[in-house]
Amino acid sequence: MTLRWKTWAVRLLLLFWALQLVWLAHYFTPEVRDLAWRLASHHTGAAIRQEDPLYRWLQILAGIIPPQATYVFLDNYESGKEIEARYHLAPRRHVLLPPETPPDFLFFALRQEKAAYLIIREGDHPWESKEAVAQSPAFHMVPVPGPGLLFRVDSARLLGRFYD
Amino acid sequence: MIDLVLTLSRLLLGLAAVFLLGYGWFALLVPRPAAFLRLEKLALSFGIGATVLTLWMLILSWLGLKLSLPVMLVPPLAVTGAGLLMKKIGGGGLGSQTPASAPKPSPPTPYGLWDWVFLGLLAVLFLYASLRAMVYPMWAWDAIATWGCKAKVFYQSLGLDLTCIDAHNYYPNLLPLLLSYLYFCLGRVNDHLAQGLFPLWGTLLLALLQAFLKRCGLSRTRALGVTTFFALNGTVFPVHLYIAYADLPLAYFALAAVGLLYLWFTDRAPRGSLALAACFFAGLAWCKYEGPPLAGTVLLAAVLSLAWLRPPDLKARFLGLGIPLLGLAAGYLPWRIFAALEHLQIGADHIQNLYPQQFLQGSVYLLMALANPFYFGVLWPALILALVFCGRSLWLSPRLFLALFVGGNLLAIVVAYGVAPTSLAEFPGYVRATLDRLLLHITPVAALLIGEGVKELRGGQGALGKM
Repeated sequence: MTLRWKTWAVRLLLLFWALQLVWLAHYFTPEVRDLAWRLASHHTGAAIRQEDPLYRWLQILAGIIPPQATYVFLDNYESGKEIEARYHLAPRRHVLLPPETPPDFLFFALRQEKAAYLIIREGDHPWESKEAVAQSPAFHMVPVPGPGLLFRVDSARLLGRFYD
Repeated sequence: MIDLVLTLSRLLLGLAAVFLLGYGWFALLVPRPAAFLRLEKLALSFGIGATVLTLWMLILSWLGLKLSLPVMLVPPLAVTGAGLLMKKIGGGGLGSQTPASAPKPSPPTPYGLWDWVFLGLLAVLFLYASLRAMVYPMWAWDAIATWGCKAKVFYQSLGLDLTCIDAHNYYPNLLPLLLSYLYFCLGRVNDHLAQGLFPLWGTLLLALLQAFLKRCGLSRTRALGVTTFFALNGTVFPVHLYIAYADLPLAYFALAAVGLLYLWFTDRAPRGSLALAACFFAGLAWCKYEGPPLAGTVLLAAVLSLAWLRPPDLKARFLGLGIPLLGLAAGYLPWRIFAALEHLQIGADHIQNLYPQQFLQGSVYLLMALANPFYFGVLWPALILALVFCGRSLWLSPRLFLALFVGGNLLAIVVAYGVAPTSLAEFPGYVRATLDRLLLHITPVAALLIGEGVKELRGGQGALGKM
């Protein structure tokens, strides 16, 4: 009797597992399809990164910002773009601030961290210090087309006063 | 094409050196390496090699020496070789006092239909995971935010440069250092090829599970069946085979540490298993921030089981647990001392007040995750069934150790959520981002316990019994 219920319980479990295997195969099908396409078209490895405009932009920035420099990156952490910037721009020192950062704190942080560059990803959040940065003589915009803005920062000209 | 072949050869040679170093230590620690199956030797050697190599890299950084392949590989390989020579001359070993009553592996039998079915399923998973890991660049959140980023910086700075990383720089560095070692082997930062490490690590985890299940007394077919059941249950394990997270290596170290201790409990462990377990306790502590508490729960479960079961050699057993404890210290202290000397701020963000609301909410989320097939399929319901099958033996045999480890960790997860300093709005997201990974750390051990349940079907006429 004991063996009988054990047998049925195991059979039921294995049935659920088999159904789950079918669902698992279905779940991974889109990824398998994409993988097969990439292999067939030899579009693999680093070439995949080139599809991303942010990556292409960061590669240009990497050519401008010296490896020993510090930059402040203005973006919301949740977007996941800031971690990409940090990864691709390493070993440059990276300081993250959210787009809502008011001008006084942004200027303080730039001076405190001795940041030579300010990078702003123009995403879904408007950045609060836009006007102050545009008006301050400490910022010089570097024209690099892409999904954001790059400013060279002369931290010696940031005096730490409100809007400087 | 030639470039790709050469690059892959460099990667394979780099991985082979890790195996070689690990095997050297394995042969040093075990009095009779022949007592282990080939699969076990392979699966255990890599973890030992990775731990020894990366701890050596930490020491090199400590000494202020620049990392390079000769400096990283030659001294540890030479010391290991010299140790093996001395062992051969002296005819001794650093084995534990484990009884040598391990059953001899049964003579090989031809593979049956179910063996091929299970092997075929595992081969498909391994092929997919390997291609998925090595065709796409590193992309997952923690991979580029923490582990991969550190690996890149360590490679570029030829040492443990933490000045440009301000997030989680107090995390242990086994994985970033191992990835950076692979970059040294490849001659550049090639994150998609280095990601091949993860399907390899997953395969070694499965090999270890299969070997432990066989040592526990399961036939090859049943052991393969349980291994396949573990690997192809839900999305968490397959996904971790191709993302550069430290959770899969941590699950591997946890399985090795618990599995070797369990075999020692049941007198099925070959001599020297405790010394090997010590290496995996070191790996646990050096792999991830959650490692030392996880290792603590293994030891706690072991102590409680011994106290409850009271085996005749209780005192010797308690003393025996000192060996893995030494391993834990060897993996934990070097990094903590380094961090203290470098004035790294150690995060204490996981321990704050107890929030009862979160504790209750965390319990509900945990139960839902255990039941939701998306994460681990039907593995956790299968564990409940296995526990029922084990019946009274759960309280009267070393199985208690496995059950206490799994149960204790489930409780620890809920407690951890109860003290997590998150806002009410953030809490569901925090749980979503961490729960599957915390469960992954203990799931291979749950599969080992399922194997014990399957043993109770021996001689039965059930679906598994007919295999």
